[in-house]
Amino acid sequence: MAYQSSIHSGDKQRKQPGLHAVVAVEDLTPTAYILRFEREGMDFEPGQHILLGEAGRSQMREYSIYSGKEDPYLEVLVREVKDGLVSRRLRKLRPGMMLKVEPPVGFFTLPFQRLPHDRFLFIASGTGIAPFHSFLRSYDDLDYTLVHGIRYSNERFGLESYDPERYITCTSRDEQGHYQGRLTTWLQQQAVEDIAMVYLCGNYGMILEAMDILRTKGIRENQMHAEVYF
Amino acid sequence: MKYHLITLGCQMNVSDSERVKTILEDKLGYQWTDDEQEAGLLGILACSVRQKAIDKVYSRIHAWNKQKNKRHLITFVSGCILAQDKERFLKLFDLVFSMRELPQLPEMLSQYGIANPAGLQAIGYGASEMPGMGPFWNITPHYESRFEAYIPIQNGCDKFCTFCAVPYTRGREVSRPSEEILAEVQSLVEQGYRSITLLGQNVNSYGLDKKGAELRFPELLQAIGEIGRQSGQDFWTYFTSPHPRDMGDDVIDVIAAYPVLAKQLHLPIQSGDDEVLVRMNRKHNTERYRQIVSKIRSTLPNATLFTDIIVGFTGETDAQFANTMKAMEEFRYHMAYIAMYSPRPGAASSRWADDIPHDVKKERYHVLSSRLAEISHDHLQEMIGKTYKVLVRGKDRKAGYLSGMTEGRIVLRFPSEDEQLIGQFVVVTIDNAADFSAEGKLAETPQVIEHV
Repeated sequence: MAYQSSIHSGDKQRKQPGLHAVVAVEDLTPTAYILRFEREGMDFEPGQHILLGEAGRSQMREYSIYSGKEDPYLEVLVREVKDGLVSRRLRKLRPGMMLKVEPPVGFFTLPFQRLPHDRFLFIASGTGIAPFHSFLRSYDDLDYTLVHGIRYSNERFGLESYDPERYITCTSRDEQGHYQGRLTTWLQQQAVEDIAMVYLCGNYGMILEAMDILRTKGIRENQMHAEVYF
Repeated sequence: MKYHLITLGCQMNVSDSERVKTILEDKLGYQWTDDEQEAGLLGILACSVRQKAIDKVYSRIHAWNKQKNKRHLITFVSGCILAQDKERFLKLFDLVFSMRELPQLPEMLSQYGIANPAGLQAIGYGASEMPGMGPFWNITPHYESRFEAYIPIQNGCDKFCTFCAVPYTRGREVSRPSEEILAEVQSLVEQGYRSITLLGQNVNSYGLDKKGAELRFPELLQAIGEIGRQSGQDFWTYFTSPHPRDMGDDVIDVIAAYPVLAKQLHLPIQSGDDEVLVRMNRKHNTERYRQIVSKIRSTLPNATLFTDIIVGFTGETDAQFANTMKAMEEFRYHMAYIAMYSPRPGAASSRWADDIPHDVKKERYHVLSSRLAEISHDHLQEMIGKTYKVLVRGKDRKAGYLSGMTEGRIVLRFPSEDEQLIGQFVVVTIDNAADFSAEGKLAETPQVIEHV
């Protein structure tokens, strides 16, 4: 057995930096859940992501922060991946169990200096709504439209945090959304002239298709910011 | 006691190895041997960029462990190691440590063999639980060369390119204090070093992790430029590698302002296709890249431009590869390090199907490399008849010749057997060019010297 200079065991875990206790695992759908854990003083910019995993295990994954900048805890919105090495185990964690969390990073953040009348278009698919949820829990002065592409209406994650007048759902498998069909089909039918910035988060295919549509509508490259969920 | 160290991978590992040698030789009294068989301490600085490099680690340790039946031998591994490999290495090597822990190596070696609780805990830990990089950076390295040196300015990466595992092996970006970097530069300049390369995974995000409490990268370059100006010494300062996302005009402007900042840029593009760049999570597109190159060409018209390209990335279509060919045509690189894509364990893309057949990757590699060779040849043809300052780096493979490089890292050779010239600047007039190197003759009298 090799010599190694750090120890993890029992109560010592709680005292080590980078370890955060689980507060709750909140099931949302059969494949999505919120993982809530102690903040331990960690600061972040809404839109950033963290690398996290179960303490004592080697596998870690990146997750966008779902909670707001002033919330007393940290949350991530997790899609359970079939045969995934991390997402399935995280769902089984119980309050008090420890997570290993690396500091927040990433550039999918709002500009520091926003003009008062800047309008934002937020485009999300599935759990890609997480950074927008964090934006909207953190800033109450945003002029935005949030479009969410989901399969079923029970995937309207964090519904209570959005202004009902500004939140548009596109559901592909039920008729409960504002628009029944694909998000990109909805987007093709919209005018976007007065949009200052577009933020896109979700799967690769949706983002590329949406960017192509936005370009045809006159949105320039430097107006678009994308965070791809892989 | 003698030791042997195998260094795999990039310049960062080479630089790390210079500090490992300081600990082994100066603190512990070990002596280097080229012969593994006579070494009592065998180590590897691992690289996780490709599976092949990790396979080499497993191959060496199995060979070394067989020798343990016959002689006393201690083995160690460090470098870029994924958590899952680390767990396996703990069972195979006597010592497993990160570079941050290098200053504790004497203690680890003295405790090796004594049963202790730490030794019984074979569990990985995250970067935030490790000691800081400060003590490691404070180790004075045993520079491999007496005229070329690497200086680490940063450790880790926050970019999470999907093809790369560095964020998982080296952790988050941490900038080394600028006063230490500048002191090391000053010391090297005083010792007469001719080439200094600043190292980091994303050098141009240097200082950003300190949120205003540290110099930014262009300010660091400016401070080095001032060291050059005040010293009156002649040297070239390079950096690798920058990320297009953080490459501002100010970096290019400061390079233009100081002669000791080399007019050579390595700007990885990875792909010339915007969709592939999104899938690679590169955070820049070809238009942004084009703007940077345009700024380089207008501000530093003589600068050479190098890049990195991956062909056959997961899902790359013929049309997408054709866009990379167009980028090669448009940016006319002096050199490109082209790699056929292979999944890197631990990186996000390793979870996707590696769906481009090997033959297709090979063909794309061949087509792109051939075009690069032609473009490089064109660049070198333009050098014929001109005279350049050259840093002599050693004997050439061709008998009776020495080889060196220009400020733009163009490799050339010239007839001379005067080994006293190695490590010196000379002036060479180019009279012949091949695909990636040129040939010339020492200029007998000072002439108009072309830059780069």
